[in-house]
Amino acid sequence: MEILYLLIPMSAVLVLIILGVFGWAVHKGQYDDIEREGERILEADSGAVDTDQSQRIRSIKQSAR
Amino acid sequence: MKSATPQLAASPSGKVCEQGDLAVLDDPIEQRRFTRFSVGPGGQSIADSSLRISGMHCSACAGIIESAVLGVDGVLECSVSSAGERARIRWNPARTSAARLVTAIRRAGYDAVPDAALESREARRQEHRTALWRLFVAAFCAMQVMMMATPSYVTHGDELAMDIRQLLNWGSWLLTLPVLIFSSGPFFRAAWHSLRQQRIGMDVPVALGLGVTFIASSGATFDPQGIFGQEVYFDSLTMFVSFLLAGRWLEVRARHKVAQVLEAALDGMPETSERMLPGGGSETVSVQRLQAGDLVRVALGQAFPGDGELVEGETRADEALLTGESRPVAKPIGSAVVAGSVNLGAPVLVRLQRVGADTRLQAIVAMMRDAMSQRPASARAADRWAGPFLWTVLLLAAGAAAVWSIIDPSRAVWVAVAVLIVTCPCALSLAAPAALLSASSALARRGVLLQRLDALEAWGRVQRVYLDKTGTVTDDRLQWQGMARVATGPQPLSDERLLDMASALAQWSTHPLSRALAARRNEADAPFPWFDVHEIPGQGVQARDSAGLEWRLGSASFLDASNQKPDEAAVWFGPSAMAVVRFDFTECLRPDAVSAVNGLRQRGMEVVLLSGDRLERAEAMGKVLPVDRIIGAATPESKLAEIESAQQLGWRVAMVGDGINDAPVLARADVSFAMGQGALVARAQADGIVVSNRLTDLVMMHDLARKTMTIVRQNLAWAAVYNLTCIPLALVGWLPPWAAGLGMASSSVLVILNAMRLSRGVHIPGMMNAR
Repeated sequence: MEILYLLIPMSAVLVLIILGVFGWAVHKGQYDDIEREGERILEADSGAVDTDQSQRIRSIKQSAR
Repeated sequence: MKSATPQLAASPSGKVCEQGDLAVLDDPIEQRRFTRFSVGPGGQSIADSSLRISGMHCSACAGIIESAVLGVDGVLECSVSSAGERARIRWNPARTSAARLVTAIRRAGYDAVPDAALESREARRQEHRTALWRLFVAAFCAMQVMMMATPSYVTHGDELAMDIRQLLNWGSWLLTLPVLIFSSGPFFRAAWHSLRQQRIGMDVPVALGLGVTFIASSGATFDPQGIFGQEVYFDSLTMFVSFLLAGRWLEVRARHKVAQVLEAALDGMPETSERMLPGGGSETVSVQRLQAGDLVRVALGQAFPGDGELVEGETRADEALLTGESRPVAKPIGSAVVAGSVNLGAPVLVRLQRVGADTRLQAIVAMMRDAMSQRPASARAADRWAGPFLWTVLLLAAGAAAVWSIIDPSRAVWVAVAVLIVTCPCALSLAAPAALLSASSALARRGVLLQRLDALEAWGRVQRVYLDKTGTVTDDRLQWQGMARVATGPQPLSDERLLDMASALAQWSTHPLSRALAARRNEADAPFPWFDVHEIPGQGVQARDSAGLEWRLGSASFLDASNQKPDEAAVWFGPSAMAVVRFDFTECLRPDAVSAVNGLRQRGMEVVLLSGDRLERAEAMGKVLPVDRIIGAATPESKLAEIESAQQLGWRVAMVGDGINDAPVLARADVSFAMGQGALVARAQADGIVVSNRLTDLVMMHDLARKTMTIVRQNLAWAAVYNLTCIPLALVGWLPPWAAGLGMASSSVLVILNAMRLSRGVHIPGMMNAR
């Protein structure tokens, strides 16, 4: 049971870190407009997701040349 | 996606704006309303503007607008929120202008107007973020604390080693600290505030319970042999705080939604006016630049920018919102016009006498602010209980300590503390807000928005309702009242025949009076053949019948008739520009007005019609509307005086209105509602807005208010029963932490479930539900 002496303080510290991360996210405005972020993937000119990675690598190589 | 949004660049009024109109956006006075300036890193000035976008269909539009604005030289940053339909743009004033930004948005196929409520929206966003952050801290810590409390609940006797128990208590204490210091900060601040004002609100017992629980549990953690015993109640404490904060967060969201609806009306292009220059010609300026003595041209359909005198042209003005007068008022040369009334007749020149704060409009607004500060205070149901509750609890704790100091002095402090912990008013402080919140969400779905949750409670106890006439019990349409012969005419035609012909001709026109006349026709009526139909704007319609005779339907001057009563709504009809009959129109009662007034009276309220319109018109209304009393020709001052004298006689009064002239009364009455299409200043002042414009919703709301108060009383009773059963346990010195936590959770959940019953709303049999 000695391991609890390490785990309980660790979990308490972890909770405090999580609270800090959430606070940062709230104050960055990540929860202000939830709908928009969810639908961003459907936007016409968003280049965030591309299924064919080989094409992208090719174009990066071309531009590097 | 771009092709899906072929929007015309049109201003809200429907006319396509030219670049010249946008120049007013660069006027520093106007720019202050939607832009803030800061100093950038290079020492140059940076502007931060907020615009409201219209024409957005989906969230993809946000990306199109962002790229359009970022394409303008000098724009540093642009973010568009699709849910709020707002754009925040940071730009360099040295390189671009607000007008150019709006032009870019219009080119992309959308429209943008200045967002006047920038400051309050920013404040609301901050408030919402803080509420969410506090709730998260409390709820997340409560989860962890409960996890650490579980081992002591599931073990018996000495199964849990003393050092491990100690360790778990330390962990719980550490995680309770942020909840107590950060999350429950508002409760302690509010309690301190109300104690300093020597008033006891619900926050005082809440803060006392939180404080005592934390001190006792901390004592047990750090000194298990001390006076506070060994039991810790950190799990109950954090759970209690998260319940309360969840309620507050929902309340904040509901309040912000209503504020957003109100503010949407504030946005719009800056009001401009055409000022005549001394040397001839004219310039378009912001109305805030106008001064007394200026000569302005007021176009048709525009509002007069200030109080003044008509110097050129004749017109009619719609003063309904200012005075309650239901008919347009004729304005010959030399007559006075009032700021805020709308020019209906013809373009005119006005010499301004008073502008800004000196106008009649602003005087009414100032009167409203005064009335607001004199409004009778309405105590919240829960706050009324807070004082007696607190004293009872304190007396019980003191009594228990006194008795135990004789039996067993070592346990006296602990028993007093246990009484304070077990009476922590969790269910009591949720009882009223949960019910009011649930009822207001039911109302919002029906189309009634509450700005103040307490308004519902006040509405349930109202004894006398004052109804405004124009715009409240009537709507802006007109209806056919009757017809009168003014001449015999060339052919002997019956009244029915003339009405049939005229209503058939009226179908060709979209003028409000024509539409009201055409509404007389049944679908079964045989169509009357008219040929060569022409509509002459501002005059009437003319057409030929099958015999080739020309008939006219329109104003008195169009038919060469003499008009004895220029304020009354009427049209004339006859052949060859000769008036044969006159059709009279009257304002149209809302279809549910009679059943609403009956419903209110059945529920024991006295209904008074309080109109600014002429007495005879108000009395004519009283023939169809079964009200108890009629007051006509009331000015804003006399309306306010009437309400004040009723309040002094001890009546609890409500006001339902829509106009600027009602605003002072709306501010003063115990509870007030504004119609959805009413003036902005009236809606901003009222406790609730009847967006649906249905008067029967007032009756429905009264039933819901009664039901809500019943549920609040049930909740309070339950909270009292819970406390009564738990206090004896604490008094005999037996309060295991699991019992405290379980009791608190179950009583709160029960109270919330009971309140949820209200979210279905109420149904009144026999009432008109839709128009």
